[in-house]
Amino acid sequence: MLSKRSLVGVRLNFHTLAVLFFILIGTQAFAVAQEVANSDEAVAAGKAVFNANCKTCHKLDQKMIGPALRGATDRQPADIVKSFIKNSQAVIASGNSYYSSLFKEYNNTVMVSHEFLTDEDLNNLLAYIENGDKVDPAAAAAASGAEGGEASAGGGIPNEYLTVILGVLVVVLLLILVVLGLIISVLTKYLTKQDLDEDDKEFVNQKTNLGKVFKSDMFVVIVTALVIALVAKTALDGLYSVGVQQGYAPTQPIAYSHALHAGTLEIECQYCHTGVEIGRSANIPSANICMNCHTHVQNVQGKEGVSPEIQKIYNAVDNNQPIEWVRVHNLPDLAYFNHSQHVVVGDIECQTCHGPIQEMEVVGQHSALTMGWCIDCHRQTEITTEGNAYYDKLVQIHSDSKDALKVKDIGGLECAKCHY
Amino acid sequence: MKIAKTLSILGIAVAGIALAGCRAGGENQGLEYAPQMYHSVAYEPLTQIVDSETKGNLISTREDGKGEYFNSNINNPHHMNMREPVANTVPRNKQGYLPYRYKAFEVEEAGAAMKNPIKLNDEVLAEGKRLFGLYCTPCHGTSGEGDGKVGEIIGGVANLKGGAYVGLSEGHIYHVITKGKGRMGAHGSQITPENRWKIVHYVKQELQGGQNADNAVAVADADQDVTQVETPAN
Repeated sequence: MLSKRSLVGVRLNFHTLAVLFFILIGTQAFAVAQEVANSDEAVAAGKAVFNANCKTCHKLDQKMIGPALRGATDRQPADIVKSFIKNSQAVIASGNSYYSSLFKEYNNTVMVSHEFLTDEDLNNLLAYIENGDKVDPAAAAAASGAEGGEASAGGGIPNEYLTVILGVLVVVLLLILVVLGLIISVLTKYLTKQDLDEDDKEFVNQKTNLGKVFKSDMFVVIVTALVIALVAKTALDGLYSVGVQQGYAPTQPIAYSHALHAGTLEIECQYCHTGVEIGRSANIPSANICMNCHTHVQNVQGKEGVSPEIQKIYNAVDNNQPIEWVRVHNLPDLAYFNHSQHVVVGDIECQTCHGPIQEMEVVGQHSALTMGWCIDCHRQTEITTEGNAYYDKLVQIHSDSKDALKVKDIGGLECAKCHY
Repeated sequence: MKIAKTLSILGIAVAGIALAGCRAGGENQGLEYAPQMYHSVAYEPLTQIVDSETKGNLISTREDGKGEYFNSNINNPHHMNMREPVANTVPRNKQGYLPYRYKAFEVEEAGAAMKNPIKLNDEVLAEGKRLFGLYCTPCHGTSGEGDGKVGEIIGGVANLKGGAYVGLSEGHIYHVITKGKGRMGAHGSQITPENRWKIVHYVKQELQGGQNADNAVAVADADQDVTQVETPAN
């Protein structure tokens, strides 16, 4: 009979197996509960570790660059989770099938090693991941709903209000006009019934004779003078605008918004216009600079799918085809201008000449870029000579003058400075 | 007399309206005063007239029959004016920097081999801070903690003060700026080598508290030739 019994002396039928299974599960769950602390101090310390090292790629309950972290210790034993945090590639290399498939699922994005984290740090971190900042789903939904409502209420109102107010005003004015007309007719009727002398009758029944006014010499002279003045002004303005492209704002092949990139996102001009400090031209960025961000950012305002405008960058990169931007500022070939000279040495802000670029949806030429415009600035701008030995002798020579050293004093008005 | 007067007024009006049309605005580039002095005969950067037939064809004196201002280089791909460097040649600048030869994945080798050739001083640090503000803050934030406005959209931006990064070598940081790593793109085309090393100094000294910095070495080998510091050919 003994031979039919198992080594532990208990028959391994289905029931015992099931009991064993649950015991094992139980101990494992117990083990997790023991390792992952739930004290406030541990969670707080863990949150600090999380914010310093994890938050740019992970959220607790949402997928981000990496997976949502909560429940990590349910999915894998805590000590394997810890060694994965320390050196993820080593765990994957050791053949852990769960983490290998996770790595594949996230496009083989390598997680940075965190060997410097102590065991205590890791325990606190796990405590925070499992127990910290728990959000009630219903409350979260309500909060996001409220936010959405506020956002939709925020925009559009002023414009609508303005239109309504204008409409109401027009209606009120028309009503007043009608009422006034009625009053006049009523009064006239009333007056004609009274006994009036001739003078008063004439006054009541008088009609304005517009024809006479139009034919009077005074009127003709005034109107002619006004028309001539207007036409002359337009003609002169037109003549002065020949060769000046101020206001030119062509449509670009990609509807790139400076208001979004330079305004809302506060990307500095030099990030893309890399030539501005080292050369004559500020440069238009090539597609690889766009791709620094747009590899990841495929649509505006977090929308799904690829924006048709951003798709144009991808097409350009895929086909090795340059993007043919339309040049906005066309300084004539007869004048020389150098960006680095003005931006580095002159320390001039981009906006001084280009205007409020960070507010422009479509870039237009802000300044006139005429010679008078250049010269004006050269006459007024003082030179920062401090800390630049190049100017020492010029300052010495200029020291007799009462005025400050300006660009005009060091050749800023010489013809051959710009025309050669 | 009356007809002459009316005609002259009409004439002025027409001239005024016609001249008003010369004004630039929107899509209209406006009338050019002396176009032959405006357009360059030589190839110019960022200026290219690809229209070979219509632009200025009335006054064209060109022998090839193309439009007066046509200045695209028909020998280049896409008729572009800029040219690629001649094959198998190496551009060198006055600082003696050679082209960067480490591949993007060779972070470890680059990090171990390269030392910062720029001597550390206050001026370099100030310049590094300025450059960091131009090229790094959109993602890494002013404080380097990965909280820039663009970084929030892209996600996965390194916290330069985080434990995983403070101990990295200066060569490693230089390599990542040049070639990119993970979600960060390569910034080698935007920032000159000297400026990259200045940013490295700023990140190491100001943001990461000088941990694992090269400056001790750099001071000792002050006379070192930068060409030797720059990457070996491989």
